[in-house]
Amino acid sequence: MKLEKLNPSVKAATVLLSVIMLSFQYNITLNLTVFFSCLFLLLFFSNARVKHILVILAPALLAAFGMFMMGLYYAKGNSITSAELTEISSVPYAVRAAMSTNLQSALQLGTRILSYAGLGILFALSTDGEEFISSLMHQCHLSPKFAYGILAAFHLMPSMVREFSQAKLALRTRGMHVGPFSLKPVFAMLVNSIRWSESMAMAMESKGFAGNEPRTFYSVTKVHWYDLVFSVVCLGSILIFI
Amino acid sequence: MRKEEFPVLQLEHVTFRYYENAKRNILDDVSLTILAGGITVLMGSSGCGKSTLAAVSCGLLPENGGYLEQGEILLYGKNLAEMNQSRRAAYVTMMFQNPDLQFCMDTLRKEMQFCLENICIPSDQMDLRIEKAAKELGMEALLDKKLHNLSGGEKQKAALCCLYMMESKCMILDEPFANIDEEGTRELIQLLDKMKKLRNQTIIVIDHRMKYWLEAADEMILLGEGGKVLARGMNRENIEEFYPLFQQEGVFYPGVCQRVTPVRNMEVAACHLDQVSIFVKTGRVRRQLLNQIDARFPKGAMTAILGPSGCGKTTLFLAMLKQISYEGRIQFGEEVWKKKEQFQHMGIVFQNPANQFITQNVRQEVESSIMQWNPGIKDVECACLADHMMEEYGLLRFHRYSPYMLSQGQQRRLAVLSVLAGKQNILLLDEPTYGQDYRSTTAIMEQLTEKIQKDGLTVIFTTHDEELAHAWADQIYRVQEQKLQEEMI
Repeated sequence: MKLEKLNPSVKAATVLLSVIMLSFQYNITLNLTVFFSCLFLLLFFSNARVKHILVILAPALLAAFGMFMMGLYYAKGNSITSAELTEISSVPYAVRAAMSTNLQSALQLGTRILSYAGLGILFALSTDGEEFISSLMHQCHLSPKFAYGILAAFHLMPSMVREFSQAKLALRTRGMHVGPFSLKPVFAMLVNSIRWSESMAMAMESKGFAGNEPRTFYSVTKVHWYDLVFSVVCLGSILIFI
Repeated sequence: MRKEEFPVLQLEHVTFRYYENAKRNILDDVSLTILAGGITVLMGSSGCGKSTLAAVSCGLLPENGGYLEQGEILLYGKNLAEMNQSRRAAYVTMMFQNPDLQFCMDTLRKEMQFCLENICIPSDQMDLRIEKAAKELGMEALLDKKLHNLSGGEKQKAALCCLYMMESKCMILDEPFANIDEEGTRELIQLLDKMKKLRNQTIIVIDHRMKYWLEAADEMILLGEGGKVLARGMNRENIEEFYPLFQQEGVFYPGVCQRVTPVRNMEVAACHLDQVSIFVKTGRVRRQLLNQIDARFPKGAMTAILGPSGCGKTTLFLAMLKQISYEGRIQFGEEVWKKKEQFQHMGIVFQNPANQFITQNVRQEVESSIMQWNPGIKDVECACLADHMMEEYGLLRFHRYSPYMLSQGQQRRLAVLSVLAGKQNILLLDEPTYGQDYRSTTAIMEQLTEKIQKDGLTVIFTTHDEELAHAWADQIYRVQEQKLQEEMI
């Protein structure tokens, strides 16, 4: 049983609900448990590559560290009272000084980011984009007009990349400096993309696509019993923690 | 010969324009009837409304913009306006010029599933129909490949395969070969011929290059300004009678591209290629495009580079502009230019000039170039110079238009103008005839010839059009099996 087999809409709803539930909790153990279970599920019950997991987690770890430092220094400290800080004690002064800042809330914030990141990659790395759209169409009544519009835009990405580099080249041939953050090539690319979207819409219509007319489907995504089990187990375990 | 003599498509007094207040109607009181069976080719000069006619016939316009002032379109005797897309698709489907913008899915198989879903085919029959169509057209190998990795010709074949599978009675093809080379074109025409014979489908093609169609077409129709029918019933037997008409309309007629350029002095070379090899990377695969080529491009002359699409012509240009890495040496006479200075000496006009505009109107486009290359120039002087240049290129009356509103031919002229505003002495042109009729091709080539004579400009252009190369170039190179071979003129 792989995570990829689960219905994408149910998976998305489960992840979203978990995030909402976690955001009302201040439980470090719960946050860490969620994070590590997500990693565990991804590593052993999905086809996600370890490299991808690490690449996506890197910025999340940075953000978690940032939140940790913020919580540590800028939250009102109460781990240790100022009386204790000034008293003579066997604990070195530096440690006591660090504890005068708020370790507890720092850890809460940092681990919360980690748990969000874990849930996020759990969904992102085990879900096929097309399947998700198809599932949104069948389970969440997304109109085919939007669904296929999104898919078409998604598949235009390689052309957009090519277009962007061409726009940059065009500017350079005209003797203009193009830095990595120049907006001019972006503008040229967007103008062309608008024209493309029109051509694309016409091409789709000419093949009989009518946004709101009834249509058949090659494959219909369904909700199975194991989807519900997954959802109930995930949400249930968080509830028990609370 | 046509077997059945009933009308597939009837346009009756159709008048159409894109903007409500436009002075000119794109289609002006057009009446045209096309009978069932066979391949019909609609020809006409650029901007005469061919593509609009096609889109209106499929009902894509005015639904996606524009105003149908009057007239009626009948498909197999039924009013087009009263049908929805899904039903229309049973009668008529359309294929477009740009192979990149025809698919909304990432593989041909998925795209074909999408097509069948549109026309409400039950899902258990889909696989069967897909396999059958792919087999009949020999497309099985491409079914599961990523569409964006296919060549232009393969993409167009894939688009045809979709239409074939949908089994619509009539197909309209809007300049299907504009982006692909001659070999790809021949394959596509064979495919169309096969479809016609297998299914007796009615095929309507819009194109302005007759030479490809002489063999396959059953009837050819010449359209004039406003989409009016100037001549019909033309075929390979009687085509010669119509020659004067073709000349008057400026439409390509096979074998008329005659050599007009004088013999030029080609002793001084503007650019040398010395053992140049170029590799490209697609994903993780490194592929060699050109292998140790040598070439010499004479100064003040025109050189053509021929070869099938995807053989590395455009990439060679990028290497000459120092935009990609290469092995070997590319020299420009005695001079050595830094990467940054490169563009002060060389300009490039892309295959699709619409990709290279950087401002919102024609005047700004020219002025921004002048300003760029002449820092500190006064506004008045700049405007005056721009006026003069636009006049010279016949663009002055469009000076307040957006570059995107110009026709293809005008866009290319503007691109050449804005590139040459910097007084570059080497000009690279990538497929200058892409999507243009004979008249505007000739216009641009004549302008370049004049520049060559006056300023000693060096022009290098790529093309798949043999006739064009022989008519205008002083020297021809052909890319073959990763090598560049010089050819006799």
